[in-house]
Amino acid sequence: MNDGPLIVQSDKTLLLEVDHPAARECRAAIAPFAELERSPEHVHTYRVTPLALWNARAAGHDAEQVVDALVRYSRYPVPHALLVDVADTMDRFGRLTLVNHPVHGLTLATTDRAVLEEVIRSKRVAPMLGARIDPDTVVVHPSERGRLKQALLKVGWPAEDLAGYVDGQAHPIELDQEDWHLRDYQQEAVEGFWAGGSGVVVLPCGAGKTLVGAAAMAQAKATTLILVTNTVSGRQWKRELIARTSLTEEEIGEYSGERKEIRPVTIATYQVMTTRRKGEYRHLDLFDAQDWGLIVYDEVHLLPAPIFRLTADLQSRRRLGLTATLVREDGREDDVFSLIGPKRYDAPWKDIESQGYIAPAECIEVRVGLDDEERMTYAVAEPEERYRIAATATSKLPVIRRVLERHPDEPSLVIGAYLDQLEELGRALDAPVIQGSTTNKERERLFQAFRVGEIRTLVVSKVANFSIDLPEAAVAVQVSGTFGSRQEEAQRLGRVLRPKADGRQAHFYTVVSRDTLDAEYAAHRQRFLAEQGYAYTIVDAADLAGPGEVNGPDWVDEPAD
Amino acid sequence: MPADRPATLAAWLRTRSDAQLAALLAARPDVARPAPSDVVALASRLAVPVSVDRALDELDAATLQVLDVVLLAPTDGVPAEDVHAALPGLPDDVVDAAVGRLTTRALLWGEDVLHAPDPVRRAVRHPAGLGRRAAELRVTLPADLPAAVGALDPGEREVLERLAGDRPVGHLPETGGPGASPARRLLQAGLLARIDALNVELPREIGLHLRGDRPYGPPRLRPEPAAVERDPAVVDRQAAGAALEVVGRVGELLAVLEEEPAGLLRSGGVAVRDRKRLAKALTVSETDAGWLLELAHAAGLLDVGGPHRDEWLPTRGYDLWREQPLPDRWAALAAGWLESTRLPSLVGSRDVAGKAVNALSPDLVRHTAPAIRRSALAALLDSPPGRGLAPDDLVALLRWRTPRRADRLAPVPDMLAEAGRIGVLVGGVLSGGGRGLLTRGEEGAADGMQGLLPEPVDHVLAQPDLTLVAPGPLVAGLADTLAVVADVESSGGATVFRVSESSVRRALDAGWSATDLHDLFTRSSRTPVPQALDYLVDDVARQHGRLRVGAIECYVRSDDHGLLSQVLGDRRTAAAELRRLAPGVLVSGLGADEVLTVLRQAGYAPAGESPGGAVLTRPPARPRAAGRRLGAPPSMAGRPLTDAEAEATVREIRAGDAALAARPAAPVRQVPGVTTAGTLEVLSRAIREGIPVWLGYVDAQGSGSQRVVQPVSLAGGFLQGWDERRQESRTFAVHRITSVAPADEEAPAAGNG
Repeated sequence: MNDGPLIVQSDKTLLLEVDHPAARECRAAIAPFAELERSPEHVHTYRVTPLALWNARAAGHDAEQVVDALVRYSRYPVPHALLVDVADTMDRFGRLTLVNHPVHGLTLATTDRAVLEEVIRSKRVAPMLGARIDPDTVVVHPSERGRLKQALLKVGWPAEDLAGYVDGQAHPIELDQEDWHLRDYQQEAVEGFWAGGSGVVVLPCGAGKTLVGAAAMAQAKATTLILVTNTVSGRQWKRELIARTSLTEEEIGEYSGERKEIRPVTIATYQVMTTRRKGEYRHLDLFDAQDWGLIVYDEVHLLPAPIFRLTADLQSRRRLGLTATLVREDGREDDVFSLIGPKRYDAPWKDIESQGYIAPAECIEVRVGLDDEERMTYAVAEPEERYRIAATATSKLPVIRRVLERHPDEPSLVIGAYLDQLEELGRALDAPVIQGSTTNKERERLFQAFRVGEIRTLVVSKVANFSIDLPEAAVAVQVSGTFGSRQEEAQRLGRVLRPKADGRQAHFYTVVSRDTLDAEYAAHRQRFLAEQGYAYTIVDAADLAGPGEVNGPDWVDEPAD
Repeated sequence: MPADRPATLAAWLRTRSDAQLAALLAARPDVARPAPSDVVALASRLAVPVSVDRALDELDAATLQVLDVVLLAPTDGVPAEDVHAALPGLPDDVVDAAVGRLTTRALLWGEDVLHAPDPVRRAVRHPAGLGRRAAELRVTLPADLPAAVGALDPGEREVLERLAGDRPVGHLPETGGPGASPARRLLQAGLLARIDALNVELPREIGLHLRGDRPYGPPRLRPEPAAVERDPAVVDRQAAGAALEVVGRVGELLAVLEEEPAGLLRSGGVAVRDRKRLAKALTVSETDAGWLLELAHAAGLLDVGGPHRDEWLPTRGYDLWREQPLPDRWAALAAGWLESTRLPSLVGSRDVAGKAVNALSPDLVRHTAPAIRRSALAALLDSPPGRGLAPDDLVALLRWRTPRRADRLAPVPDMLAEAGRIGVLVGGVLSGGGRGLLTRGEEGAADGMQGLLPEPVDHVLAQPDLTLVAPGPLVAGLADTLAVVADVESSGGATVFRVSESSVRRALDAGWSATDLHDLFTRSSRTPVPQALDYLVDDVARQHGRLRVGAIECYVRSDDHGLLSQVLGDRRTAAAELRRLAPGVLVSGLGADEVLTVLRQAGYAPAGESPGGAVLTRPPARPRAAGRRLGAPPSMAGRPLTDAEAEATVREIRAGDAALAARPAAPVRQVPGVTTAGTLEVLSRAIREGIPVWLGYVDAQGSGSQRVVQPVSLAGGFLQGWDERRQESRTFAVHRITSVAPADEEAPAAGNG
């Protein structure tokens, strides 16, 4: 029996023991065909899905390699049936190919006529196919390329897309690496993406996803359309691109509610793309406004459904999706894979942290006991009101204050979901509040002030969940959230993960009301972070030590003054 | 060799040496018991049809082909060299060996000239796959056969070609359209013979004509399939993988059944509902759940039990089994499977009545199963370790070995698949454990698996996401404990448990304290117990039992706490069995009326209270029994008769009339179970002359009936015929026929109404 780091389970999950000497090597061997599902402290869980196996085939791995990796690293004998199943599944890939026919344009060709007959008869697939050229080839309308691939995936005969990409209109873009360098993992991510043509890169918040985008643009050297979640995030992209690439202000356009510029590199928001007037999407022409060579989707896990439909028409253009987490609360991960492309790169958060590229973070859950009056209000409240009552309890206020006092010199964010509560916090903490109605100008001003240290504490609503860049936020306190959203938790943690100039630790606090729905939702969200390897510490509000006290922050480095 | 050739089998037997006779008895042991008194007795014993069939069943295809040559010869007695000439495709040594095997078994006799005894001729129904002669089939062949065959259209020719293959008998297809099918046209042309209502036979002459220069068909050489070659070490590792899986799954299955047993159906077996539940609990398919149930049962780990013997429960053997080392556990499963008389692959298939067969149902018992299983696997035992046969090739080989038992080979592919799932077989190659199992039984199996299966672990890895990972099979004690404290999330080589609020509550309900749980985690986890886990336990423990539930019959309440204390302290109220539940409230297990009476007698002035808190001024009601609740009166109207039922009833009445009318004065009667020559004589005559008979019949359920039957054929103890009453073709066991007589021709035909 060999003593490998891997245990293969009957349900095709793989358990990888992280502390095993061969763990790194094993991870590299299984990463092409297994999705990382959880990466808590000791044992990481990967899942072998048909989709992952097909992606591996698309990336040039064959069944033999997969079986070999499983057998070689497995600690226990692997059931023969499982290996056979893996080989069978992989064998289904590539029987159908999408190729450009010199005469007929895009066609679906097969090496196995029976499979083609099967899919032609499938109700789901048939409407997308055109005339049959010969027994092994069918014409496909170019606009159906994406939908056809999706449909074929659902019927279990994924097509290999060999139709290639259009180069788009060339535009010189270079990375300007004078005072910085692309990190190894960023380089690997870009290479993985480029080799695959299209796909999604998964990196933790703060790990420099923007730079992966910029490097991809420099590789494509073509006009690029960047889709972002909101205007602030768009401006952030623009700043980064100007600083890190040869692009100048004039070459980058903003396409948002305020401005409608179309330039060689255009940054558009999801919101403007999905604005409808009289039932029609008004700004779809943007996709055709230029011969785009690359389309970048920022925060691809938030991609709204209409954009999915549009993306199906863009299959001949290179597509890069960027995200911190592929968890979608709507469960449409598969659509991301089939329309944007398979996952091309991911890395456990803790790996990148250990390389020093994201700040180490300490996650603390502070439990607050409600006072009797609040408990009674909570007990008799309507079920739909309960979470709000628990999350916005005023008993939290002194605790939040005390938390902030623990880090008197750190730039801190207080994040919540309920505006009343945020207003109240803003007043009590004497800090400005940023919410949906705050103008972009005001937001930028406040962010700038925060960045230079004029403002130490900001109170933000969930509008700031995404893509605002606050390089020096070192403390985040979340007081309420959108129920149990794991994705929101990941984003909020991301706010503090950007590496600090002096390598300080980041602190992520969650203040919850004990024995209420608030605590229940918090547990659900934390499970996600625990699965990413972030262990939570739970502290009672009463035990929360101040700075300099035993168990308080940094008490070893800076003894009590 | 004596110059004068023996004239009969008995005479020939006399010429055989003692060793040869011993070989005969060894090859056909059934004739040796009880010992025949003399050679004549031996010869007559050898002529018993059952014995001949048995001897023939054990022969391979090449030997049977040699026998065919003798059987098909125009005259009795074929010189041995003619046999060689007749089968140019078979090597001489194969033919010689076959002749040797046949004469050893006295299925052929004679030295230079081979004779076939009559019983053997009768036992081989279609020698070389050819039909009977045209004369026997009462068919007149066209004068110019080649011309007639040459003139057939392709459809007709195809039918003939097919019947000229291995089996000269075919089903007549149902006539659908107006045009006659090729088979029917052939019948009319006299190229096929009808043998009963459904089947036709190809006359031998036509078969021989179509076969041309190969009258005995293609040479039946032993198939030499390409062997599957695999590294024995790899085979063993993969077998171990399957073994680990199957042992784990069976363990989980039994653990689930321990918690909630499956009910025993009245027909035996496990209900589909239970199978679904188990499939869900184990996250396997329903087919797999059925297979695991069968496997656990075969190994004696699961059986019927419970106070009313109506539940499927793990057996006492299970308690021992789970304590055993993994190889022993596997060996117990594999040995149980090998010797099982059941066919698990049939679970879920439809029986003749179209009903799905349940897992563990008695319908799955086939007493031949262990022999078939063993012989199939034993065929692989001949090749060295690491070498085997693909399933299809193995079946082809078995088919060649015993072609007359080919129908028994139907379950073999499923058996081989099962062997693969257990780990006895990997891709057609026997594993070390499998070889051990076949040669040395359970012990050998365990030895073969030794060192391949992981040692059980006695610890888990606790993780901050509240999972506990057991990195290997767990020791039984810890597995039991964790089953209470956590839910299994994923199983296989390792087990992933998840601790959740509900699982902790379950543990607390089961009598664990929070301290016990903390201790358990600290003791069994090799990694530091994450804080989140400790908090979870404490959180749930804090909430646990904050609400208490008990049963009482009535309460006594008062705002005057002093008064209540006085009542409680009063000796005279002891009969009311009061106790204090909370300040201001006393409760009693006695009824309100009794408590009121006791309190009144003690001099207090209690008042009754309604559920809403109002004082009841009426005196307490007189005691009454809780009466039966009146429901809707049961409906007296019967279920209406459907049209179909009415129709069937009328048809039966009319058929009964017809049978009575047709009943002759003195039918041939027979004692049930005893077939008289008279019965057979009447039936054969009826078949020959095509006249209906009146039949008294007792069916398998023991109910007697009388019916008019148009007999079609009589063979092997079964009468096939057209039942006028049921309007269907039926088969009757001759021994169940109680009486038979030719039906009166004038009797009215069976009613169609």
